[in-house]
Amino acid sequence: MTKPVLRGVLVVAFFALCAFYLIPVYVPRPAFIPGFAPPPDMWPRTVSLIGILLGLLVLILAFRGGAPAEEAIKTDKSSTKRMVLRFAGMVIAFGVFLAALPFVGFLIAVILLTLTMVLMTGERNYRAWIALLSVGAPILLLLFFNFALGTQFPKGALLKTLGF
Amino acid sequence: MLNDVLSALSAVATLQNFLIMTAGIWGGVIVGAIPGMTGTMAVTLALPFTFYMAPVPSILLLVALYKGSTYGGSVSAILIKTPGTASAACTALDGYPLAQQGKGGKALNMALYSSVIGDFLSNISLIFFAAPLALLALHIGPPEFFMLMVFALTTVAGVSGNSLLLGMVSAALGLLLATVGEDLYGSFRFAFVPDMQAGLSIAPVLIGLFALPELIKLVVLRAANKDEAAPLGAQHVTREEFMGSLRSILKGSVIGSILGAIPGIGPSSAAFFSYGEAQRSSKNGANFGKGELEGIAASESANNGACGATMIPLLALGVPGDVITGVMLGAFMIQGLTPGPLLFQTNMHEIYMLFIGMLVSSVLLFFAGKVTMRMFTKVALIPQTLLTPLVLLLCIFGIYSIASSTFDVAVLLVMGLVGFGMFLLNIPAAPFLIAFILGPMIEENLRRALAISRGDPAVLLSSPITWAFAVLIILVLGLTVRREFLKSKERRVQQ
Repeated sequence: MTKPVLRGVLVVAFFALCAFYLIPVYVPRPAFIPGFAPPPDMWPRTVSLIGILLGLLVLILAFRGGAPAEEAIKTDKSSTKRMVLRFAGMVIAFGVFLAALPFVGFLIAVILLTLTMVLMTGERNYRAWIALLSVGAPILLLLFFNFALGTQFPKGALLKTLGF
Repeated sequence: MLNDVLSALSAVATLQNFLIMTAGIWGGVIVGAIPGMTGTMAVTLALPFTFYMAPVPSILLLVALYKGSTYGGSVSAILIKTPGTASAACTALDGYPLAQQGKGGKALNMALYSSVIGDFLSNISLIFFAAPLALLALHIGPPEFFMLMVFALTTVAGVSGNSLLLGMVSAALGLLLATVGEDLYGSFRFAFVPDMQAGLSIAPVLIGLFALPELIKLVVLRAANKDEAAPLGAQHVTREEFMGSLRSILKGSVIGSILGAIPGIGPSSAAFFSYGEAQRSSKNGANFGKGELEGIAASESANNGACGATMIPLLALGVPGDVITGVMLGAFMIQGLTPGPLLFQTNMHEIYMLFIGMLVSSVLLFFAGKVTMRMFTKVALIPQTLLTPLVLLLCIFGIYSIASSTFDVAVLLVMGLVGFGMFLLNIPAAPFLIAFILGPMIEENLRRALAISRGDPAVLLSSPITWAFAVLIILVLGLTVRREFLKSKERRVQQ
């Protein structure tokens, strides 16, 4: 499947999912609507149907060869499998960060996420800078937001248990 | 009247006011230049401090922050392709390629000159056209407003990316996402989790969509170009380059002033509209998006051109033109001033002080921009592998600090992944964002228009203004399709 065709299929599939499943289930109509006011699902349904039409146009253009010029995506020439693995790793890192935040607290979660991200970029030089960025920057930012602006960051259940 | 102006001038010309405006402009430029920190955040964070200040200096501080951050957004847009503010998204289209060509300083200088000219002309428009434009805006009803928004969206979809069709797909996605949250009748739409009942905030969606994909690209594709971190190189904008862009600067300033004066449009749409117009009318149109100084001039003159103009509906009608002027409305209230027609009768002295202060802040923007530019050029020397995780860090702290919400941080990360997916599929992100911001207003005005007309959709073409917008929409669509057809034909000939 070529990229323009895949794009068209994804657009049609997404808007169809919204129009025929998500809107009927997740956009409830109130029992009473005053006057001639349109119901709450009118606008999202209209947009979804327009989206399906646009997706079909994208598909038609893809099959007829009239799709816009594709710009080449720059990579480090790694295999697709490797890049998919990197993406999966990133999604997992984000997920773990959000799941761990209530337990380990904002600061530790952010430190770990930053360190993971720096290492995932492939950077292995500048070790002092990596340490400063991963540990020093979050601490400085936390102090600034906490003391200067009064933002309260979650401390985490684990740290509270340990008496922090 | 002259006595009133002189009296206001002597009241503004104090060291305290000068320092406040300088601090506001500097602070705004710095905050706007840091990805993840928005002008809205700067103005909101400064709001509590205005409690302790006199009315006019407090408003001048917020206005200075607004102006500074609008220009500051261009710094990161040009140097690291991460617009500090939504209104700088167009600036990144040409600024970043120029920075890659070793002309980052030139791009920054052009952005500064355009911003200052746009800002100054916008202030002039505020002073001279506040009342007439406010009167015009007063006559715009729901059908006209709906058509105006659709026109703005069509323009944005047309100028972003390589295809009008993909721009429209992007806009449809943004419109759909904007429907998340509580409806007019209390229904919760797409509230998959309780946090979604209040809808999605603009800041995490904006920052996630524009800032995070750069990090994800770096991790997944690892295509870090060493040239991207090179010194800025050429910085001087020649007289020829400036004169070549002057028409777009003046046009952008006028577009910014007009669109900024209409509530809801704001600097972002003005920048996109001006960029599209410059691309259409310029002899260098084909070079737009590849590193064209005129593109930066058009975008920056319009977004700063809208800053002063957004104050027109705020001062004359009490209607904020965008999120930031909404915060300013709160500041006026805190100071015991009620923006609206009465303000021009009861507080004329303060109005004159404000106008004079705003003109002075345009000049201050020039000096602050020049000095701060040198400081921020160091950003280009930081390796991308360190800078982009730092961007993530700033984004997470910045987003969390706005509402102390972990959910907003989750939205930020998810929108980063969505932005990366859109990049892979060649779907432009800008129409998505503008549609997301305008979406609630478009829907509200459509529903109000339909309710007024007892469900008759013909109300959308019921007045000369709506017809004028309909003609403009068809014109923009026609011109964009023609441009794409010609490009496609050219491509086929080359093949």
